[in-house]
Amino acid sequence: MKPMTQHSELISALADGQLASEDFARALAACEADAQALDSWNTYHLIGDVLRSPELIPHAADTAFVARLRVRLSQEPVLVAAPALPEIRHAAAGRLGRTGGEAANDASFPWKMVAGFASVAAVAAIAWNAGAGLLSPTAMPQLARSEPAAQQVLVVSEQGTMVRDARTQELLAAHRQLGGTSALQMPSGFLRNATFESPQGERR
Amino acid sequence: MNFNCFRHLALAACALVATSYVAAQAPAPAATTAPGQAAEPRSINEWLMRMHEASRNRSYVGTFVVSSGGVMSSARIWHVCDGSQQMEKVETLTGAPRTVFRHNDQVVTFMPDQKVVRAEKRESLGLFPQLLKSTDSHIADFYKARQEGSERVAGVEADIVALIPRDTMRFGYRVWAEQKKGMVVKLQTLDADGKVLEQAAFSELQLDAPVRIDKLAQMMAKVDGYRVEKPGLVKTTASAEGWVMKTPVPGFQSMSCYKRPLAGQSGSDPMQWVFSDGLASVSLFVESFDAQRHTRESRVSLGATQSLTRRVDAYWLTVMGEVPMATLSLFANGLERRK
Repeated sequence: MKPMTQHSELISALADGQLASEDFARALAACEADAQALDSWNTYHLIGDVLRSPELIPHAADTAFVARLRVRLSQEPVLVAAPALPEIRHAAAGRLGRTGGEAANDASFPWKMVAGFASVAAVAAIAWNAGAGLLSPTAMPQLARSEPAAQQVLVVSEQGTMVRDARTQELLAAHRQLGGTSALQMPSGFLRNATFESPQGERR
Repeated sequence: MNFNCFRHLALAACALVATSYVAAQAPAPAATTAPGQAAEPRSINEWLMRMHEASRNRSYVGTFVVSSGGVMSSARIWHVCDGSQQMEKVETLTGAPRTVFRHNDQVVTFMPDQKVVRAEKRESLGLFPQLLKSTDSHIADFYKARQEGSERVAGVEADIVALIPRDTMRFGYRVWAEQKKGMVVKLQTLDADGKVLEQAAFSELQLDAPVRIDKLAQMMAKVDGYRVEKPGLVKTTASAEGWVMKTPVPGFQSMSCYKRPLAGQSGSDPMQWVFSDGLASVSLFVESFDAQRHTRESRVSLGATQSLTRRVDAYWLTVMGEVPMATLSLFANGLERRK
């Protein structure tokens, strides 16, 4: 394991363009002599490419847009009593939900890549992640019986009704950040909070 | 280049996988642990102190999963301690990519999407060991501990300890503490009926993993290409802001109070007043009432975290915490304007 690690370190620096003269030559020699080193070189570029591809990275603006769209859809007054309409609305909600799910999966793809490298065990977590991504669309379409005044998205889950709006998320983040005053904070509270500090809660 | 740290990480983890693979080949130590545990049940403070110490004096790598309100989040955790210094790295595997580093009470959060790093100091992190040691700790007045056998979690044998509230104003907890040193490997928050509101656990854990404090410190300091943000928090007191808790909620003590100046917003700065009973914490957010945004009072439940909003004269109050809704109402009713 050790020589491979050493080489990888070197190749990593090479990929970053951080090497000069002697080290540079040494890295090239390593690539020539060692198939594994060449592999590392290719892998690093793959990682870099995936991480750099903007299409693969979630955009807060997109999720915010989808969230807003959902709110607006839910506030859309039901004007016609035509029997076909609820079906259309339902289908639309279903499609939306699915789109959201795919986006979430796609978005985490680079991280799955990294996680894949990071640990075999992380596969379990990814499976969960994928599971959550698949599950969320089923939860989503149940949102928001139209209440035009409220700027909130209601999500019905097993735990009852949750509200998703930017301000609540922001306060939630603040509460987790400063409110984590518990004797359980050090063993696990910090990990808990760091693990699910919601992205929506972060100020842009 | 910024991807450097990820790459190193991938590497480090590669090495770890290799070591864990080797470790897995070695025979697991037989689970013949001390039979004397029934003799003298530990008090709740002893349990909490043991859990605290265990996390301080151990290095580990693991995958941590939090399930709350129908949402599941997970993160990869690296933890190392050299006796005086603690370093931790939390890399989220779900949601937006984020990497959180903690060096004692310094917390740095990398958000690669926005190319932003948030650096802050969390005073609450250093608060509890002293409190548990001192005679000021009132945790035992409001909770009792009861051991409920043992179970295997993330590959380690763990004692199950129930932390049972003595009244209805707080939730209960069930903690799985690894048997040798007491490290918390799983934690549940339970309502009065024993229903699990939130669950956090290691799904996989490698104890005494070779995590290097200098490597993590290096990654934590690597902020080039990122914009560093410091939260504009101003320490204050509730009374200085003109607020008082007229009717205190039993067991909950005021821990801290901050103002959070928001750019581009009129009116007085939002205030966050934090209370804790030692296990649960409650935040009171007070901001100027804004008829456009604050359209209606609400009660929201997100797993273990409950929240309620209410208008108080010219202010908008949001009470949030890991306590039953009725307790939040007590906070809301007890708060009074003194200016």
